Amino acid sequence: MNIDHHMLVGFAKSFGLFYLLAMAAAALLYACWPANKKRFDKAARDIIEDEDKPWR
Amino acid sequence: MAILVVLAAVGLAMAAAGAGRADPMQTHGFIVLLFSLGFLCVLLNGYFAPEPSETRLESYYDDPSKAGIVIAMAWAVFAMFIGDWVAWLLAFPDLTFDAAWSSFGRLRPVHTTGIIFGFGGNALIATSFHVMQRTSRARMPDQFSPWFVLIGYNLFCLLAVTGYFMGITQSKEYAEPEWYADIWLVIVWVTYLLLYLRTLARRKEPHIYVANWYYLAFILVVAILHIVNNLAVPASFAGAKSYSAFSGVQDAMTQWWYGHNAVAFFLTAGFLGMLYYYLPKRAGRPIYSYRMSIIGFWGITFFYMWAGSHHLHYTALPQWVQTLGMTFSVMLLVPSWIAAANALLTLNGAWHKVRDDATLRFMMMAAVFYGLSTFEGSFMAIRSVNALSHYTDWTIGHVHAGAMGWVALITFGSIYAVVPWLWKRERMYSPALVEVHFWLALAGTLIYVFAMWNSGIIQGLMWRTYNDSGTLTYSFLDSMVAMHPYYVARAIGGLLFLIGAIVGCYNIWMTIHRPSGAPAPSDDAPLPANLQPAE
Amino acid sequence: MFGTHYRIERKSIALAVAIMIVASIGGLIEIAPLFTIDDTVESDPDMRVYTPLELAGRNIYIREGCYACHSQMIRTLQDEVERYGPYSLAVESQYDHPMLWGSKRTGPDLARIGGKYSDQWHTAHLKNPREVVPQSIMPRYNWLSESQLRTKHLGDDLRALRAVGVPYSDEMIATASADAVAQASPEGDIAGLGERYGDATQIRSFDGDSRTVSEMDALVAYLQILGKLSDAAHQPPTPKE
Repeated sequence: MNIDHHMLVGFAKSFGLFYLLAMAAAALLYACWPANKKRFDKAARDIIEDEDKPWR
Repeated sequence: MAILVVLAAVGLAMAAAGAGRADPMQTHGFIVLLFSLGFLCVLLNGYFAPEPSETRLESYYDDPSKAGIVIAMAWAVFAMFIGDWVAWLLAFPDLTFDAAWSSFGRLRPVHTTGIIFGFGGNALIATSFHVMQRTSRARMPDQFSPWFVLIGYNLFCLLAVTGYFMGITQSKEYAEPEWYADIWLVIVWVTYLLLYLRTLARRKEPHIYVANWYYLAFILVVAILHIVNNLAVPASFAGAKSYSAFSGVQDAMTQWWYGHNAVAFFLTAGFLGMLYYYLPKRAGRPIYSYRMSIIGFWGITFFYMWAGSHHLHYTALPQWVQTLGMTFSVMLLVPSWIAAANALLTLNGAWHKVRDDATLRFMMMAAVFYGLSTFEGSFMAIRSVNALSHYTDWTIGHVHAGAMGWVALITFGSIYAVVPWLWKRERMYSPALVEVHFWLALAGTLIYVFAMWNSGIIQGLMWRTYNDSGTLTYSFLDSMVAMHPYYVARAIGGLLFLIGAIVGCYNIWMTIHRPSGAPAPSDDAPLPANLQPAE
Repeated sequence: MFGTHYRIERKSIALAVAIMIVASIGGLIEIAPLFTIDDTVESDPDMRVYTPLELAGRNIYIREGCYACHSQMIRTLQDEVERYGPYSLAVESQYDHPMLWGSKRTGPDLARIGGKYSDQWHTAHLKNPREVVPQSIMPRYNWLSESQLRTKHLGDDLRALRAVGVPYSDEMIATASADAVAQASPEGDIAGLGERYGDATQIRSFDGDSRTVSEMDALVAYLQILGKLSDAAHQPPTPKE
């Protein structure tokens, strides 16, 4: 049980950092991926130009 | 309809079970029974109405949103009134009229639940219905589930609030309702999630607009938090009382993991969803940086979950958990300020609209307060600062900078934007009254927050002041007496805020009830409130 | 048409799953280790459990929302230790379902209030705080001494607590109602009560009216036990860090 706790704490203390870096990298990559730019711009514009009814 | 019958039966069973041992749950059983019978009548009435025409499928289904907004405003006035009452109670403790139900301890959760879940929750549900349909270009898949979500959710709020008056509470802050109300909320919430996903599945564009991400995170994470934190064993199925599955330090960590993330995902993510739709729409400009909004989203989703332990600095919680909480709380500033900056930069080039249009100014000010209170939050999460601020009114000031300055202002702004769109009015009944509301709300917030900063810091300093002989200078009572003027000031600030909300209600009411063709009363507001950007 | 639709739908579910994963990890990492913590923090084999009367009092404390203004957690700061007593240890709230550490001190901390004031002081103070402390802003709870404590179903409460880990015995559950009455109206099976809950159990009429067991009895019994269930905090200090 004791080892269990130490293991968990150790894991908690070390893993967080790597996880944080991986997460940040993934989010940044997704957001800044050039191919996504067009899609994002369209999404941002689309809500402004709104015809007031569903598409089908 | 079958569901209402089942609900009525459950209510009856609860009433009977409660009656068996004279438990306050009996009263709740009757409330459930009456509630479901009431809606059964409404439904039966509708049964004889003519078959709805097929053309309805060519427009969005907005009736639940309309109802939700009206209900949200009603909760706002009720809960702000209670809030101001308890504020006066702290200055003049005998304003309870000697009744059990009106003591501070019972009214306080009425205020917090009424604001967070009654006002905030209904506003979120109503606007999320509106936003998800518009951004998906899709009508909701059916008409029953939005009503089930909205009405079911309000039944939960009603059970919660009436329970506190009777003393039914789990004592977990912001998760006070007892086990049966919690189970009911899970059912409602799952329906809400399914409804959201089903509507998104009907959308036109493959890309999901970012506001929906925030709403979705709000729905999902609140479900996780709610279920985990409310795990409990009822003392008996015939009584309201239950015992939490967690105890001591585990319970404290679970509770503040919940408590802090309720702030994150109920009071931040959901309202950021609102911000990311209504602000660009109202300003007539696309969001400044869509990329920033995505980075901010994942940052908030990730960081917040670690931050809860900063509520437990210097307690019996292991220190490494405290440190982890503090570190992430400080890092949390990055995504928070990304969001605030993104909102303000969107307004770049539209500042003349902010000057002239109080609705847009509501949203702008909300973004400013969001930036301020997230900075304050990260600051207060630092251990040495927290040593002073914890347990004092500073915390209350911080919470209200967020709740009044950010949550309420963005909600009022969004409601003022959406009401004319929903009811097909050219603009609000009176832009001048929106202006009045804005200044009342801002003044109320500032008075409140400054009073609490002062009292909190004075309190914290008095508790730790030593005299020359090395003993504590002030008794606890000394510090309490010193709070009195600030408590009065706080109650006055709250009163201004409440009056603002009442003005808002009147304005919304008049907007709804003015026939759309009738000319608006003339006033000297320079711009029509409903600025369609395409014009 | 169906193909694209399917792809789109998958996307929103993927988003939902991603949110869940990203969001839950922080909590898991922080909370999971706390459940194996029993071996690494102080332990106190002599820790007492709440008697049925004290438990009922605790439930009144919860019902009235006392936790909104009173904390029960003395932090490891010098001024707090001098003001309120030795700092709180995790073991002291190990049977608290839920914990009542609180988050605000509109009134003082109560973690070690037990024994600091007399029963009469507490009763008078709860009835009208301003009679005892003129500047107090606490609400009055004068009806507590008039409402009879409901003891009939206390066994259920003990059983539920046992289900979540508090070591109540079958005997304690069976005699819960009688024990609650006995503790506050010193007649009945007092010897048995002491045997079940330890000799340190305080047995007396707490509200000064021994004819009935009122909610005041229960609440004062609870307040008088706060900080006294375990001696661990008063032992020679074993640094935590």
